[in-house]
Amino acid sequence: MQLSLFTALALLVLTAAGFLLGRRRALAAGQGRAAGLHSLPDYYGYYVAMWTGAPALVLLALYGLFGGMLVNTLALAELERSAEPLGARYESVLEIDPAHAGLRAERDQAEAGRLAAREYADAMFTQHGAESPQMAEAMTDVDGWIAEGERVEAELETRESQLLSQILGAAPDSPQGLAARAGLEYAQLPIERRQLFISDIRALAFGEGMASRDTAELRAAAAVFQPYETTIKWTVCLLAFSIAVIGLARAWRRVAPGFRARNRVEGAISFLLMLSSAIAILTTLGIVMSLLFEAIRFFAAIDWRVHEFLFGTQWSPQIAIRADQIGQSGAFGAVPLFVGTGLITLIAMAVAVPVGLFAAIYLSEYASPGVRAWAKPVLEILAGIPTVVYGFFALLTVGPFLRDFAMLLGYEDAVTQSALSAGLVMGVMIIPFVSSLSDDVINAVPQTLRDGAYAMGATKSEAVRQVVLPAALPGIVGAVLLAVSRAVGETMIVVMAAGQAANLTANPLESVTTITVQIVTLLTGDQEFNSAKTLSAFALGLVLFVMTLMLNIVALRVVQKYREKYD
Amino acid sequence: MTDAPASSAIREAVSQRLAKRHRAEKRFRAYGVGAIALAVIFLAILLGSIGFQSLGAFTMNTLTLPVTINERQADPRGDGTEESLRRGNYNAIIQDGLRAQFPSVDDRAELRDLFGLYNGVNSASLMRKVVANPSLVGGTTDFTLPLSDDVDLYLKGITVSERFAGRQGALDVVVSDQTVRLESAEPAFADFLTVMRDELIRRADEAAANASRLESAAGAAATRDEREALLSQSRRQAALSVSLRERAEAQGDVVLGTDTPALFLQAEGGVIQVRSVSRDGRIAVGETLLPLQAEGPITAWTEWAVETPSNARRISDRRMVYARALEDRDMVRSGFNTILFTNADSRAPELAGVLGAMIGSILTMLVTMVLAVPIGVGTAIYLEEFAPKNRLTNFIEVNINNLAAVPSIVFGLLGLAIFINLFGLPRSAPLVGGMVLALMTLPTVIISSRAALRAVPPSIREAALGVGASRTQAVFHHVLPLAMPGILTGSIIGLAQALGETAPLLMIGMVAFIADPPTLGLSGFLEPSTVMPVQIYLWSGAAERAFEMRTAAAIITLLSLMIMFNAAAIYLRRRFERRW
Repeated sequence: MQLSLFTALALLVLTAAGFLLGRRRALAAGQGRAAGLHSLPDYYGYYVAMWTGAPALVLLALYGLFGGMLVNTLALAELERSAEPLGARYESVLEIDPAHAGLRAERDQAEAGRLAAREYADAMFTQHGAESPQMAEAMTDVDGWIAEGERVEAELETRESQLLSQILGAAPDSPQGLAARAGLEYAQLPIERRQLFISDIRALAFGEGMASRDTAELRAAAAVFQPYETTIKWTVCLLAFSIAVIGLARAWRRVAPGFRARNRVEGAISFLLMLSSAIAILTTLGIVMSLLFEAIRFFAAIDWRVHEFLFGTQWSPQIAIRADQIGQSGAFGAVPLFVGTGLITLIAMAVAVPVGLFAAIYLSEYASPGVRAWAKPVLEILAGIPTVVYGFFALLTVGPFLRDFAMLLGYEDAVTQSALSAGLVMGVMIIPFVSSLSDDVINAVPQTLRDGAYAMGATKSEAVRQVVLPAALPGIVGAVLLAVSRAVGETMIVVMAAGQAANLTANPLESVTTITVQIVTLLTGDQEFNSAKTLSAFALGLVLFVMTLMLNIVALRVVQKYREKYD
Repeated sequence: MTDAPASSAIREAVSQRLAKRHRAEKRFRAYGVGAIALAVIFLAILLGSIGFQSLGAFTMNTLTLPVTINERQADPRGDGTEESLRRGNYNAIIQDGLRAQFPSVDDRAELRDLFGLYNGVNSASLMRKVVANPSLVGGTTDFTLPLSDDVDLYLKGITVSERFAGRQGALDVVVSDQTVRLESAEPAFADFLTVMRDELIRRADEAAANASRLESAAGAAATRDEREALLSQSRRQAALSVSLRERAEAQGDVVLGTDTPALFLQAEGGVIQVRSVSRDGRIAVGETLLPLQAEGPITAWTEWAVETPSNARRISDRRMVYARALEDRDMVRSGFNTILFTNADSRAPELAGVLGAMIGSILTMLVTMVLAVPIGVGTAIYLEEFAPKNRLTNFIEVNINNLAAVPSIVFGLLGLAIFINLFGLPRSAPLVGGMVLALMTLPTVIISSRAALRAVPPSIREAALGVGASRTQAVFHHVLPLAMPGILTGSIIGLAQALGETAPLLMIGMVAFIADPPTLGLSGFLEPSTVMPVQIYLWSGAAERAFEMRTAAAIITLLSLMIMFNAAAIYLRRRFERRW
């Protein structure tokens, strides 16, 4: 790290030097007068500095991003190579070990038994239905085989680790032997534990963080890592430095009175600008790709039963553990989440649309400039308050108040975390959104329309209701759609105030859960990244993204179409 | 103009209709006013309730305790080196300091109540004090530490309702081995008996009301099981009501327990807890919690009635007595809660502060600013000034508008999948948080920058081009400086939005409990940390009442930060805004 930091500093100094040298040479070439040059002297400086700094710094940045990965790949390959003889011995021992062979046979038997029992259960399911005693009996059988399979698997693992430790113990304690042992250990690790192994080695080798354990094998592996790291680091730094020097020299040599330095520099600037606008596209692409990729992995994990995800009515991802539990097939039914999201959105809209719309009408048609001057900022403050604050308010003030109120009215099962409290508070949060968008649309309605209405003898409210609002309707619809998309994607208020129970209900006083709440629940806390449970969050994210995207596209279309009419 | 002679019937109908139309007009207008009023009222309730909740968190009660730092405990190796000082048993030193205040306390349960006045984590700050100044070893020094949250809330009068009443009279004190018997010729304890009786009757009435409500609910129950359950609950409440009423009306001694108000008697520097009072209010039997300094009859005492029963409060009787005693000795001070701003997160509410989250927010915002502002302004310049009007630019524009409306949590998913799982960047780091928030803020910055650039009149560009500037020069030397105030305003508003954002940061693991604030430096960007809104979220889930107040206080802090941001934006807009 020190070395690359030093190189980066040196490159910066070199770049500054490039600027000065280029400028000096240009002035010298123009005999001290700028008028003899094609571009202003500074541009020659920029040009030289650009060729000095940019390629080398890009190289350094690439090293920063991928250097660690490169070292890991190379060093681990060497570790695995040195572990090959040991690995071969281990394989052969596994082959000839009688206990292991017996266990393997047992495992095959358990697998066959499970498949047969499963088939039988499926048959019972179609013949007698899910609740029948035959089905229950068949399921017990399946579970029995699964338990048997797990037992055998566990025994196999124990036996394998016994044999592995025998092999490892037999290897010599020389550095090569230790490295080979580390390599074999790494090769035998399951994928999810390899990352920890690597970071332990890196911690020992380069002092990056704390190692979770410290063994002779890890030390030996660290010793394998170190030369790679050193070589690559020095190579990259020297390379970057020489690229910078070569770039400086070449660009400096090109500086001449007729050289079009400004055009080159401006070309680079517009390239940079283009690059930054590409980031918007890259972000969208990144969102779509990551969501799609992980969602596809999720659907693969649940055997492509996409319809069960979209139309299933039971959501309990926490209990879906094993792949062949039949109970699992219904565990990823997202309908309760969709219904919960819809219910809360509906409540929020019932608050936000009337209040926001009337506020917008009042502000744009009735209010004096004085009222506008304070009322608009107040609405803006509502829009600027962080959603976590609304969540806290909903949880500690609105929720208990609504619960007590419902109890007062004789509803005994009232809870603090209810769809109603989350929806109400979310509605208030969205008021300024609706009102400022509608305000814009109402203001965009030409004054002539109003004047026409007044000339016919309409009162103000009649003009608003019968002329202005119909004219602004598409825009208002667009604004409401955007508000809906915001309500659907809102997270913190519902996480804090709506609860986590996946109830399929239309009762606003019960606690419901939403898509966003489940994403947060699934992805916070301990997680193993490859389980269907975690991946399902990405499938939910995809649903959320597609939903809001469609709402946005429709809304923007509606708004744009409307604008074209009057402009 | 002359009116055409209209028949009075038509005139009548028109004027009636007109009145109706005017009423409708007024109604419509009232709806508008109502909508605005609703928003304003809600804002007032929101800010008011949070401000009110936060009040308790801005003050705290600290205990200043003289502690003797003896060599045996502070310097176990006896060589005075820092390493040895760090191994000292400072908790024992604080405990000894407390015991010195209450020499009569020696029972285990009593000691547990005494030592519960503070959190053991405070010993670390005593250690730091001694390590910084080793000459303290062997002497006595004043050590100031925050009282534990339950005691703090009690002393603030938030969790327990109690009242003190000074009394005069003659009270005989008879001490037998465990108990103290207080006798008086007058009914000295009659007032307390009324309090007690009122309390019992109030609870009896409450239970009776519950019982009748449950019974009526049972009548409306849908299923038989439900009705049975409600009826049995109702019967239980009715029985409770009867037994409470019997206790209130009973003859014989009134026994004080964990479910009744408690009575203490302060006199002569000691405290006696009353366990039972005779019905006539003349005789009370209790036990000594702190010994009386003088013997013989008492002539003046303070009656200390605690109305909250001990099973309904988190602080025990004895701990209350110790806390009050320390307060009477002027060792407890109530002052501004500096810990809230100088500490990072802690499991103990009295030691928890927002410093760590604040530093995390600063680091995250720096990353966001460095990424979002240049990229956003660059994109805006490109789209507004350079880009040819073709399909690609159109696509980029649609894209940006859509990104502006993508839910923030989706950006969190992007960060988790790409930055953490694909690029292998560390979880919970301000760098990753800043990158995610930058992507989220980008559309805001782009849209406002484009508006600012568009507001610069074309004459400026044309004049620059006319005197021979290139397009790049015209933009960077003339248009951009003029658009800068607008761009800055938009960027600040975008950053303020990012400052309050929580959901995407939950996705990338910034919700961890982090007791050490991250370094304010280059390495801090990769250290695990949290930010203000996430800290608010974490605290709001904590069970302790004291955390509730601290959450509100953290919200007030965050809101003031955001107000500062927005005020800066408004100032810039007012100061530099130009209209053409």
